[in-house]
Amino acid sequence: MEIKVLFTILISTIFINNYVLYQILGLCPFLGVSKKLDSALGMGLAVIFVMTLASFITYLVYKYILVPYDITYLRTIFFILVIAALVQLVEMIIEKTSPGLYQALGIFLPLITTNCAVLGVAVLNINSGFIDAEMGLLKSVIQGFGGGVGFTLALLLMAGIRERLELAEIPENLKGLPITFIIAGIMALAFLGFSGMKI
Amino acid sequence: MKQYWEELTKGIWKKNPILIIGIGMCPTLAVSTSISNALWMTLAATIVLVCSNILVSMVKSIVPGHIRIPIFITIIAAFVTIVELTLNAFQPAVYQALGIFIPLIVVNCIILGRAEEFANKNGIIFSALDGIGMGLGFGLTLTVLAMIREILGANKLFGLTLIPGMEPSSAMIIAPGAFFTLAFMLCGMNYINSRKKE
Amino acid sequence: MNNIVKPTLVLGLIALVASMALSHIKKITYPNILKQEKEKQERALAMVLPGYAVGDKVTVKVDGGDFSYWPAHKDESGAVKKAYAFITSSTGYSGDVVSMVGVDEAGTILGLSILQQGETPGLGARSVEVASKNTFWQTITGNAKEEGEMSPWFQQQFTGLNGKNKITIIKKGDWDPSIKDELLSRNAITAITGATITSRATIKGVEKGMDSLAKALEAASQAAPAGAQSITGGAR
Repeated sequence: MEIKVLFTILISTIFINNYVLYQILGLCPFLGVSKKLDSALGMGLAVIFVMTLASFITYLVYKYILVPYDITYLRTIFFILVIAALVQLVEMIIEKTSPGLYQALGIFLPLITTNCAVLGVAVLNINSGFIDAEMGLLKSVIQGFGGGVGFTLALLLMAGIRERLELAEIPENLKGLPITFIIAGIMALAFLGFSGMKI
Repeated sequence: MKQYWEELTKGIWKKNPILIIGIGMCPTLAVSTSISNALWMTLAATIVLVCSNILVSMVKSIVPGHIRIPIFITIIAAFVTIVELTLNAFQPAVYQALGIFIPLIVVNCIILGRAEEFANKNGIIFSALDGIGMGLGFGLTLTVLAMIREILGANKLFGLTLIPGMEPSSAMIIAPGAFFTLAFMLCGMNYINSRKKE
Repeated sequence: MNNIVKPTLVLGLIALVASMALSHIKKITYPNILKQEKEKQERALAMVLPGYAVGDKVTVKVDGGDFSYWPAHKDESGAVKKAYAFITSSTGYSGDVVSMVGVDEAGTILGLSILQQGETPGLGARSVEVASKNTFWQTITGNAKEEGEMSPWFQQQFTGLNGKNKITIIKKGDWDPSIKDELLSRNAITAITGATITSRATIKGVEKGMDSLAKALEAASQAAPAGAQSITGGAR
């Protein structure tokens, strides 16, 4: 039973409630880093990593610091600082332990602090009622992981299309952002098909 | 005097944060489902933007350079929380409607971007004017977008039905409609600007 | 060393000042937030139990979770009619749909009020929509008709249905008075266009809540001898 619930959360955050294409979160990196497939993959992996960790830590911070001291109204400030510190920490650790990975992800990490999908997932974990729920921590982490995977999926699809688009003939006024948004719209329409899924 | 005017109005067209610079997309697309949401979002974001611009420009000389970003974020987050508490207390319906996008004002790139790029280098008055101008530009774009989406997606304007009995296109009210509408607004902007150059 | 200590101090100081300022703002706004929430609950109780005297809230453990309900009663031509209101929730499209439901002893729903939802604006969020019958043109040309009190159509169609039987969904577009009888006879609601998940979640919440209420009442009647469990708390 519980496995089914967890699986539902995972599938629904990746496909049905895709953060980029349904909830419209994390657009800045989605537009900024989707020009090349390999940098999109790097960004995607970094986001999955940070979102999963951020879900884990913000859950603990909320449940064991903010709620007991009755300062839940400081949620936003705590979360964003936790995320900023986390991103910094991750950057430092990766730099020390794995220079190869650092070269691949390095430049994307600082950008993640202002990726609204990361703060978004932290707030959504609270709003989904996971704090008091059974196995809430696991549910939060899965929602964070699924959100990151969904983001990466959208980013990779977009990067693949945009690489081809370089060669296409596009009306002058649609070049750049407008055509990217039209593609995003068509992708979002396609992803709506998942909403009929019964799980 | 002319310079003050310049700083105030540049955000509306010449340096419109959304249409020209291309930042602050998430709240723009996500809350532009109705005009009233758009107007409240504009108000909330502009208050945060102006206040944080003023405070950043006040403290810029005592902030150590390499940790300025966390400090700016803390300042912004504090103002966002003030707005959040105030809305929750006095406009609960708006608070419910905007939902998660109120805390997400913190990561609205416009606000951090203006703090870093403008308020960190300019005086208090210019920073305040820049904040108001950018807020207006953001709000204007958001409102036009919301108007198009509300008319096509809900057959409504200000929450009132336009053509009784007509079934609206609900795709316009969800994500795809947001993307398409903004795409055509950007395209129109490009067209006007390219005509001007000629 | 100094370039670690100083930034930490500055950042700490700013965070401290910010939290102090915020706790002050919170002190100002908090009474209002509480008041709003209390008023919201009272409005919801009045809406789901129209005409009833509502007793004090009872919270019990059902299936390992907390379940809250309000007993209520009304005198009707000499006989005392009992009813209950409860809060229930079910997962909708994004997050929980939390609603308050009022039922009488036969299981007939007296009213339903959605307290909290985070559904898609324009689709699922229309579950709390209060639609004006006037069009935009009528309003700006000053031809608007008086409408009296407007009520949210989606929530109102639950009134009169039987919560103990299965509530079904039929897709007939927005509710209007002409389909009211058909819906009542089939124990059904009409879903919000494009938001079947939200509609289904609301029904699921009702079913779950009815189930918990039955268990809670049974436990209460076993704990107290029959007859003594009647009404906790009087009229307010």
